[in-house]
Amino acid sequence: MKCVVLAAGEGKRMHPLTFTRPKVMLPIANKPLLEWNLLNAIDTGLKDFIFIVSYKSEMVRNYFGNGETWNVNIEYINQGKPLGTGHAIGIVEKFVDDFIVLCGDTIFGKNDIKNIIEKDISIGLVKVEDPREYGIVETKGNEVIKIYEKMSQPFSNVINGGIYHFNKKIFNYIKKTNKSPRGEYEITDSINMLVKDENIKGVFLKSWRDVVYPWHLLDANREIIENINGKSDGLIDKNVTIKDKLIVGDNSKILSGTYLEGPIIIGSNCKIGPNCYIRPYTSIGNNCHVGNACEIKNSIIMDNSNVPHQNYVGDSVIGYNCNLGAGTKIANLRLDKKNIDVVLNEEKIETGRRKLGTLIGDNVQTGINSMLNVGSIVGNNVFIGPGAQVSGEIKPNAKIL
Amino acid sequence: MIFIKAVILAAGEGKRLRPFTETMPKVMIPVANKPLLEYVIDSVKNSGINEIITVVGYKKEVIMEYFRNYEDIEIKYVVQEKQLGTAHALLQTKEYVDDTFIVLSGDNIIDKASISKLINDKPKFSMLIKENPHTSKYGVVLFEKNVLKEIVEKPTEEVGRFISTGIYKFPNSVFDNIEEFSSQGVYDLSTVVQSIVDRGENISTVTANSWMDIVYPWDLIHVNESIIRNNSGSTSGIIEKGVTMKGPVMVGNNTTIYSGSYIVGPVVIGDGCEIGPNACIFPTTTIGNNSVIRPFSQLRNSVVMNDVHIGSNSYISHSVIARGTIIGHNFSNMSGKATMEIEDEYKKLEKIGVMIGENCTIEGSVIVEPGITIGRKCNIGSIKKIVKNIPSESKVM
Amino acid sequence: MCGIIGYIGFREARNVLIDCLKRLDYRGYDSAGIGVLQNDIQIFKEVGEIENLERELPLINGNTGIGHTRWATHGKVSVENAHPQTGCNKKIALVHNGIIENFKTLKEELEKKGHKFQSQTDTEVIVHLIDEEYSGNIEDAVYNALKKIKGSYAITVLCKDDPEKIIGARKDSPLVIGVGDNENFIASDITALLKYTNRVIFLEDGELCVITKKSTKVIDENKNEVKRDEELIKWDFRDAEKSGFPHFMLKEIFEQPDAINQTLMGRLSEIEQSIRFHDNVEGLLKENYESIHIVACGTSYYAGMVGKYLIENLTNLPVFIDLASEYRYFGTKNKSSLVIGITQSGETADTLAALKQGKESGCKTLVISNVIGSTATRLANGYILMQSGPEIGVAASKTFTAQIIVLFLIALKIATLKNKIGSDEIYKHILNLKELPRQTREVLDRSNSICEIAKNIKDANTVFFIGRGLNYPLSLEGALKLKEISYIHAEGFAAGELKHGPFALLTSNTPVVAIVTRDSTYDKILANIGEIKARGPKVIALADDKDTEIDKHADMVVRFPSNSQISSCVSVSVILQLLAYHVANLRECPIDKPRNLAKSVTVE
Repeated sequence: MKCVVLAAGEGKRMHPLTFTRPKVMLPIANKPLLEWNLLNAIDTGLKDFIFIVSYKSEMVRNYFGNGETWNVNIEYINQGKPLGTGHAIGIVEKFVDDFIVLCGDTIFGKNDIKNIIEKDISIGLVKVEDPREYGIVETKGNEVIKIYEKMSQPFSNVINGGIYHFNKKIFNYIKKTNKSPRGEYEITDSINMLVKDENIKGVFLKSWRDVVYPWHLLDANREIIENINGKSDGLIDKNVTIKDKLIVGDNSKILSGTYLEGPIIIGSNCKIGPNCYIRPYTSIGNNCHVGNACEIKNSIIMDNSNVPHQNYVGDSVIGYNCNLGAGTKIANLRLDKKNIDVVLNEEKIETGRRKLGTLIGDNVQTGINSMLNVGSIVGNNVFIGPGAQVSGEIKPNAKIL
Repeated sequence: MIFIKAVILAAGEGKRLRPFTETMPKVMIPVANKPLLEYVIDSVKNSGINEIITVVGYKKEVIMEYFRNYEDIEIKYVVQEKQLGTAHALLQTKEYVDDTFIVLSGDNIIDKASISKLINDKPKFSMLIKENPHTSKYGVVLFEKNVLKEIVEKPTEEVGRFISTGIYKFPNSVFDNIEEFSSQGVYDLSTVVQSIVDRGENISTVTANSWMDIVYPWDLIHVNESIIRNNSGSTSGIIEKGVTMKGPVMVGNNTTIYSGSYIVGPVVIGDGCEIGPNACIFPTTTIGNNSVIRPFSQLRNSVVMNDVHIGSNSYISHSVIARGTIIGHNFSNMSGKATMEIEDEYKKLEKIGVMIGENCTIEGSVIVEPGITIGRKCNIGSIKKIVKNIPSESKVM
Repeated sequence: MCGIIGYIGFREARNVLIDCLKRLDYRGYDSAGIGVLQNDIQIFKEVGEIENLERELPLINGNTGIGHTRWATHGKVSVENAHPQTGCNKKIALVHNGIIENFKTLKEELEKKGHKFQSQTDTEVIVHLIDEEYSGNIEDAVYNALKKIKGSYAITVLCKDDPEKIIGARKDSPLVIGVGDNENFIASDITALLKYTNRVIFLEDGELCVITKKSTKVIDENKNEVKRDEELIKWDFRDAEKSGFPHFMLKEIFEQPDAINQTLMGRLSEIEQSIRFHDNVEGLLKENYESIHIVACGTSYYAGMVGKYLIENLTNLPVFIDLASEYRYFGTKNKSSLVIGITQSGETADTLAALKQGKESGCKTLVISNVIGSTATRLANGYILMQSGPEIGVAASKTFTAQIIVLFLIALKIATLKNKIGSDEIYKHILNLKELPRQTREVLDRSNSICEIAKNIKDANTVFFIGRGLNYPLSLEGALKLKEISYIHAEGFAAGELKHGPFALLTSNTPVVAIVTRDSTYDKILANIGEIKARGPKVIALADDKDTEIDKHADMVVRFPSNSQISSCVSVSVILQLLAYHVANLRECPIDKPRNLAKSVTVE
């Protein structure tokens, strides 16, 4: 049985983090989103994968290769233009018989995947609190009746989980599917046609995590860090305090005076400390430097980035290859303690979070003593000068002096 | 999901929008740096329609060139050689529309929810109406229980509060009605619609959420305001130290805001601009691409298009300045009560500045009284006080 | 030039090939063909547009194939001469871009051995050679056959008995491998592939490649396998539409105000009074050069000549300008010279060769190009993009003005770095540059009056263009434009040269277009006009708005707004483009695809 993974999407709502990587490659607890999915899928016994790629496909291909690191087979198919989920699945017709499809950017649990494998022609369903961003599924008992588009007043909170079990019959329906109003071929339309001729079972998923906006990564990060285990491979100095779980990659040095409140994960070749304070649910990538008098809390710091001297980073995501100048601070709480709104892609979005720092893309440099306000978004390659103040959305390549 | 097409009428010149329409059709006049037509097409696209037929005529290349890379929706063009009227324009699309369709004007900004409402309204014939205080400019609709009874064009007295937006949903049988009137030399859509009502057909009325019409040059100012009022700012370009930006301010790529500039949003600044140092931009102002606002100048509630150069120490308020115009230092326009004359109509306005056409050159220390229109390609020498309209291509020396 | 495409993968080859060939359409062609392999090789060829081929093409199955658009060099345009060409028993099919210099000798030898030829092309010779060499291994056969060939080639080969692979090879003609997932491509042009993949492997001269569904292999001229990295193309090829204009060229002429803004975007600051380029270009321009050497072809060469005047004027640096094809024979390769190559496409073979020469001689090289990722931009030490957007019309218009502007920016930058001009002057030049879009719009507004003037030229047999100083290269360009698209013979002259010979050609049927600017050349050019009129021809003068004398001298005057040298350059260029366009239009010539010409000349 082959497992087809949809990994072609750009994830525009994940800007600025997805300017240089596809959504499925966003790191959570130092592994790309897609790898968590892959690991869970492998646990169920699946060995043959087809990744449908397009946007920045080289990132996916370079990381996963042919799958030998995990002892599985991974093949790739380039979707080309993003023409929708239906089109993506349609391309693999020649390569599959009975197969599973899962959305690469949603994390599915191992048991759920197993359930879907066992039920021929099925869709994973999830009950969510706020179904307004998703397609609602109408069911009768175990059977799926119809999948609806996003609606502003949903009649149910059961949504399409993004995991399917199909056989060759689906391809006939895909061929007959027309473009949706947004100009794409949607697999849900094909399914709505298929359901008229075949029974499609709805399987409720017990564990399901979707990430839509950059701050959701922080929640996903927290959930995953809590549940994983790993080694502390690095060189840890004597006067380092470690509370709760700490995972450290090899060759990383943790210097004296560092205070680590886990769960925390730190990659390899990092230099942490001396005298820094890292609080729970923080993921630090490879080749990072967290230096003296720095405090980091509930944040994701990607590879090659530095929080080197006298910085505060809270509830933030920092991309690849960034450098915070000495004294750069990120605010993560409003003075009036209200919920934080974010301007993303020029639209205001309510995050529902009381605490949110800054979402920073790749290759960003900040000068000494610069200040980043709550909920600000900093695009790739932005230069923030010494003493500068940043709020709102800063587009890539801008300079704030 | 209904597969319904949209016909957008974009052939008109827009004489009452001169001098801005001397080089482009009315639908391409930019508001907040986007042509009017793009707002309409965006709304149509986002309401679920995936095919648009645009009727073009006057200066059609400007439209076709701008939209050539427009993604996600197919745009077909039909040329109306002579602009005879709205019904005649619609008639040109007959062979491309084989079912129910909606028709709307390319220069009226409508939101996507209203379009969806219209599409989903059950009756075959349907139209969008809107409450509007200035009924004397429009066709007032008299209706009962959401069915149209009569359209009264430009009534001189108070007959109703709702006006026709000119946005309809028709079955394609309407072409027969149009052709009938066409053969009698009647080319406007309201007459055709009235006849349909008179013959007993029900035209359902649906209230639109937000609808904006642009008829006169000064309309650009408050439409600009309505559009950018709900913006959230985003910053690109280079922002020097000592710049204060409050509220939603949008700064484009490769634009530099120099020190000491004070910008209070809502403000939109395009790409490739240079603002300041020490320039002040107040709400709700839009500045186009590649424009330069030199030091110590103040802009307030104005629309400045692309490639405009505003000299130092200038004061511009409640004004519209078209593309390519170069204004010297110490320019100021007065804004206040004025009566403006457009195409033999006289309009009293409460607060209005100056309308300046494309490619003008205005030298230093020029003052302009309220309510003046300066045409396209005018040359105004230094130290002048402009007290009356300046026709296109004239010189004031 | 010819376009080549090869595909092997999981999609229907027929669809992929036609799709990719359509993207090569802009190169100009007179016939097209594809060959699809499934059990047998099926060939379909048609003269004329790709749409003809598409219409006639049945729904053939097969996941392996090759395709070609042909621009005739040997043999007339016909179905037999179109590619793919096949060998004697149709076991091998091949498409080719290039010229085989010794094909006649090879053909004779092969005929003696019994080979029968169907076409007059040099390409067919290659297939038969491969046929001769084939004894079970297609790679070896191709390798051996190519050893016998002298000339340039980019080929892609299908072999019926080896259906799992496609062979490609290049020498002095571009060819790239497009790396896909479960599919691979070969093409003469990256743009053909971009829809399917953005990973390419560039082949170098003398190399062969073998692609299968899942692998790519590069082999050098000594039959050793070469490890070459993939390159990621970050490029977006946007489809251009005519958008209501009757011709691409007219649309591109009218695009110039916006295109000029694009060229200047991010490079000019009025408030800071500075010109800025990318860091590495800034580094390049900072160095101390003794001279500058410009190399280019065609219209770019004329832009280079304008550049010479502009740079010398502002910087006092000696500037040499050479036709790229001549540089290798005559150019003095002085290590302390900066070699500037101008090539819109970045692929012009002669200019690439000149740049390579310059590099080999130890010179630093700078390229002015419109295409990011092109060979020229990768070859040189630094590059400045024109940022004009794709130019589809074969006759250059907006790219010419963009090149002049970039050269002017370079001149200003070097002058600033060397303190040759003061801040007042820099400021003045920057303001002048900023006014260009507006002035260009004014010139475009006058298109109709230029059309009226064009009526006086359309029936002429010969038109002369004259100018002095900066206007001399503009006159050359004006003549070239007229020739290219209206097929009227035209020649440009330095005004002072007319009396040294060409005067003999002047009659009342040879109109003369004179470019008149009110600078140090003014008096002399008026005198020239007088001399010319005395011999009969009508004189059409291009003069600026404030010129009050010119009406007394010329028969017709086309006016343009001007307040600076750079603006008169650009205005005059636009007028000359419009003039050529209107004349061609009045004569009903096929403006976007002139006969015998192709965009981006990749053959030397």
